Amino acid sequence: MTVVTMTAPKRRSRLPEIVGAIATPVLSAVLGLGAWELAVRGLALPPYLLPAPSLIFQVIVDKWALLWGQLGFTALAAAVGFGIAMVLGLVAGAGIAASRVVDRMLYPWLVVFHAIPKVVVAPLLLVWVGFGLKSGIIFVVIFTFFPILVNTVTGLKSADPDLLQLTRSMRAGTWKTLWKIRMPSALPSIMSGVKISATMAPLGAVIGEFVASNKGLGHLLIQAVGSLEVPLAFAAVVMISVFGILVWYAADLIERRVIPWHASQRIKTP
Amino acid sequence: MSAVVVDQVTKVYVGRDEDVHALGPVSLTMQRGETVAIVGPSGCGKSTLLRIIAGLDDATAGTITVDGRRVVEPLDNVGIVFQRDLLLDWRNILDNVLLPTEFMANPGPNLEQRARDLLDQLGVGGFAKRFPWELSGGMRQRVAIARAMMCRPSMLFLDEPFSALDALTRDQMGVILQKVQAAQSVTTLLITHSIPEAVFLSDRVIVMSGRPGIVLDEIVVDAPRPRRLAFREEPAFAALTRRIRLHFERTGVLVE
Ligand SMILES: Nc1ncnc2c1ncn2[C@@H]1O[C@H](COP(=O)(O)OP(=O)(O)O)[C@@H](O)[C@H]1O
Ligand SMILES: [Mg+2]
Repeated sequence: MTVVTMTAPKRRSRLPEIVGAIATPVLSAVLGLGAWELAVRGLALPPYLLPAPSLIFQVIVDKWALLWGQLGFTALAAAVGFGIAMVLGLVAGAGIAASRVVDRMLYPWLVVFHAIPKVVVAPLLLVWVGFGLKSGIIFVVIFTFFPILVNTVTGLKSADPDLLQLTRSMRAGTWKTLWKIRMPSALPSIMSGVKISATMAPLGAVIGEFVASNKGLGHLLIQAVGSLEVPLAFAAVVMISVFGILVWYAADLIERRVIPWHASQRIKTP
Repeated sequence: MSAVVVDQVTKVYVGRDEDVHALGPVSLTMQRGETVAIVGPSGCGKSTLLRIIAGLDDATAGTITVDGRRVVEPLDNVGIVFQRDLLLDWRNILDNVLLPTEFMANPGPNLEQRARDLLDQLGVGGFAKRFPWELSGGMRQRVAIARAMMCRPSMLFLDEPFSALDALTRDQMGVILQKVQAAQSVTTLLITHSIPEAVFLSDRVIVMSGRPGIVLDEIVVDAPRPRRLAFREEPAFAALTRRIRLHFERTGVLVE
């Protein structure tokens, strides 16, 4: 009796794929900015209506120290708030997934909490917590907690029942099942929650600063608009956006590292 | 003493609207080292029976005895392979095979070597460090068999293990299964809805009726092992498959 033994083929180079993944969006950005610049110059728009990209860039360079300092403040609120939301979301999510009692106790509160438009809470925070970093952090937590929670619950509940039956036949205990089966099964879902929340964190921080801060890019933006320094406002927007984009890519990178095995992360062969 | 005794087992699933009488009463035995195939129409309770014997589900009535002891919790000396391979996407092949050892208090020495030997035996030794999604369906199912055999179980339960595979791969898997059984004696329960597969791989075929499944017939397959693929073209083989087919025609499972 002979059995055909199969051997594994060599891995393919990923270089062309990576070049394409970077070059295409860069090209798209250059074209978009070029069109903007040409439009502003061609139509001779005044800077207080729409500043050209070159002017915004100039302002960023000139006011770098100011912008960088304010960004640091915003980023701090975003990072701390996001960290807290992540811990809360994971713990509450695990509790809800693990216990029906916890689920039923927390669920109505969470629905109410989620239904409240978060932006209208910001002025209240001003009353309760006052100006400053603390209310920025709280606002970020409110903004980013929910996606992590929901995705953690969904993920932990979505482990394949057949797989759970198989590990039961291996006489796996509750904790080992949680750690070795349920958690890894939940990771793709948790990661997408984390990704959504991570990109919402800077946004939450900025909106918090609109209302309840005397520092940060959000505050700077409101001030600049108020005094019709539109190029400076744009510079702040650019800083916020670039920060958001960097956060997105960082989250994406982390996701790749955490769940390289998931279907969403595999390089597709043409 | 029989390794497995199933005595008057029935299963009724209690539902919201109505109860489903899924199985039985069924009685059967399995001798140590024997390969018993259960063949029956879809939905007749084959998987239910396997789960009950393995201690993964309770019988509504009747008893299961394995090695002289009543089954009341999941058996610890059985390896199971389902129709879906259920490999963990986040583990490489080697670590997938090692999974069951991680739930054991005392899994013994040289685990990795044992896992690699099993993969070699099953013809997928070259893929130890690959991930499940890099393997074809047949190769994944070979890994699932290796995982089931990892802890040297005394019983191997297979629930339609080859149903999702193409015909050629299925033939190949039959040959491989025999090889595994030759290397380590296991009492094997094979559930299938393929009549030729049941005859080809088993020492005894248990023919079940439609739901609720009861035993229609028990057919001894007295052919030497290892069985070659050519066995399926012999008159003796045809006589056995015919006998099973007639049961299904008589009960309206197969209609011409
Ligand atoms: N967990 C369950 N709850 C309710 N009904 C079930 C359950 N599992 C199986 N059944 C029903 O019991 C019958 C037998 O199922 P199963 O044992 O899977 O059959 P087979 O494996 O022979 O195809 C089917 O009618 C199926 O719908
Ligand atoms: Mg079945």
